[in-house]
This record gives sequence, C-alpha cells and structure tokens, in this order.
Amino acid sequence: MRADEATLARLMALSQAGDRQAYATLLESCQRWLRGYYSRRIAPAQLDDLVQETLIALHTKRASWDPARPFLPWLAAIARYRWVDHLRRLYRADAQELHEELIGTDDEPAIAARISLDRLLGLLPPAQERVIALVKIEGLSIAEASAATGQSEALVKVNIHRGLKKLAHMIEKE
Amino acid sequence: MTMPRTPSRNSEALIAELVGGLEPVKPLRFGTGMALTLIAAAAATVLVVAMYGLRADLAAGRFDPMHLVSTGLFLGLGLAASFAVIVMSRPLVGNEHGGWRWAAGMAGALPLAALIIGLSRGGDTIPLHLANHGVQCFTVGAAASLIVFAALVMWLRRGAPTAPDRAGLVAGIAAGAFGTFAFALHCPDNDIVHIGLWHSAPVFAMALLGRAIVPRLIRW
Repeated sequence: MRADEATLARLMALSQAGDRQAYATLLESCQRWLRGYYSRRIAPAQLDDLVQETLIALHTKRASWDPARPFLPWLAAIARYRWVDHLRRLYRADAQELHEELIGTDDEPAIAARISLDRLLGLLPPAQERVIALVKIEGLSIAEASAATGQSEALVKVNIHRGLKKLAHMIEKE
Repeated sequence: MTMPRTPSRNSEALIAELVGGLEPVKPLRFGTGMALTLIAAAAATVLVVAMYGLRADLAAGRFDPMHLVSTGLFLGLGLAASFAVIVMSRPLVGNEHGGWRWAAGMAGALPLAALIIGLSRGGDTIPLHLANHGVQCFTVGAAASLIVFAALVMWLRRGAPTAPDRAGLVAGIAAGAFGTFAFALHCPDNDIVHIGLWHSAPVFAMALLGRAIVPRLIRW
C-alpha cells in the first residue's frame, strides 16, 4: 500500500477506534515508511531496532494523534524523537556501510522535505552536523572524525554533545 | 525504482503483537486539555478564596489599577503557558508553541519594575510584617499552583511531548502563574515591590521545579 497521507490518516482514525485490520495495515505501511525515512540516517545494522522502537512508540502514544490533524508530520515527530534518542544512546555504530537502496517515500515531496531528518540535521551549525553524521550515523570513531574534519578530538565530542542537545529541542521544527 | 526491503520476521512478530494488543483510545483533544487545565485553575482559585477570602475592595466591587494589571498579567501568562503545554503534548513537525515567551516577557516587567523601584527606595523600605506577608503569598500561591501542575503533568504523561525538559519548564510556569493569580484575589497589597517580588516568586519556583522533576515523569 502507498504510504500517502490520506490513506494513513484514515487507517489511523480506524485504529484509534480499535479496528485491528486497519491497524495491521497501518503498521505495515508505517514500517515501510520509517525504513525509508531513516535510510542513510542510521547505520543499517541498527535500522531494524530503530524502526521497531518507533512502532512501539506509535502504539503507546497513538492517542496523541488528533484525527483533525495530518498524520505524517505526527509520525515524523515521533520518528525524530526516537532517532535523536537513539543517537544519544549510541556510542559507536557497528557497521559503517550505508544502504543506498533505501530512499525516503516521496509520494508527497513537499511534505517529505519539510518533515525529513535531513531538514532537522540541516538546522545545526555545519561543524556539529558533520561530526554527528560521521560518528553517530556512519560509525566513525572520535579520532577518525577528528582526522576527517580537522576538529580536535575534544571539539568533536563537544560538537556532538551540543548538536544532539540542540536536535532534541528542535524535533518539531520544519 | 528500487523496492523497499522485505520486513524482517522480528518486525512482523512485533506488528502482530501490537495489533493483538490494540484497544480503542480516545484521541487527546486540545479543547479537552485546556478545559482540564482551566478546571484545575478554577478549583485552585475557589479553594484559595474559600480559605482566605476575597480582597476587601474586590468584595465591595472596587478595583485597584495596579492589582488589576498585575493579576491580569499572571492570568495571561497562565493561559499562554497552558496553551503551549497542551500543544506540546501532541507531537507534530511544524508545531508552534513559543507564544508563552511573549506572555512571560510581559509578566517579567513586574519583577523588573519591583527591582528598579525597590532599589530606588533603598533597602529599608520593606518592614518585617510585610516580608512575612510576602512569604505567605509565596507559599500559598505555590501550594495552589500544585493543582494545576498535577493536571498538566497528567496530561503530558498521556501525550507525547518531544521536548520533555521544555514542557516541564512551561508546565511549571503555567502552574505558578495560576497559583499566584489565585492568591492575588486575596492579597490586599498593591505595592509593585511586593507584587513583583512575592507574586512572581511562585512562578520562578514552579518553573524550576517543573524543569527539575517533570522530564523524568513524562519521558517516553
């Protein structure tokens, strides 16, 4: 099923009313959407965990979606929250290779761009964005990120810390 | 175009489990959250007035400009901050909930004015009995605010705030402002130094308390 806004919103409204069939379809669609959403923004080895964590968050917080409001920006806020939390917990990714085949859904490119993780990361100063991408997403060590960016190791750590803190405060920003 | 990766067995099992545990839920409505907060604020106000009584001039239908302006500012801050908290409880990329800052800035004129006037008068203009009365304004205002605080924290726990520390701070500000509003209906003092100092104190104290303890209660 296409993960378009109208369909997902309809399925979610049915799910809030307790319709299990609609909920199963919704979760399958959301799982695919989340895989695309997180692609290239998380080490592939951690993708399954993060998608599942987000599905559980969707489940436990499903009452926080208002049927009068759009669904995907709600899901994206939950996904961003889980993503930032995941990055904060992550010290070093096991895998460094990025999957190129996972590309975000773009049924509605304008919405997708506004709610994307790239948009969120882009709100950070470049120095912070770069080291978070290198260390937390691509899995480089602090020393490797330091060599790649020219920042001292201490500065890499500070920039990661400050950048993640900022991200946590900007989750709902477009 | 490439096809999405096949879902893992684990994800399928998880989805089956979540579907199996599905129960109907009532969506969190903005109006319900605000109504709950206003009921809590009204309860706090009624309780304080019942325990301590209305100011004599209010009871007689007379009004003091300073009292009206300052009480109105705290009421406005309570409303704006509550509005922000209820908005924060329902996540959405594109959410706007910064309006409380303007209300806080306006209410911030009170402690600022108190500081300026207090300094211009010199340090010996606050007699001990007025300081004791100020402590009562602070303690009763802060105590009354706990009713609103509990309502907002309960609402946030039901929701999914994406910035728990900020939500805790703003919930504390909202609660403190409503608590001070409630006690201001009793407090007979119209002096700007008293209002700016002792009536602002519950807002600051509750903001600190909210920032310190609420995040761990609402993190998800």
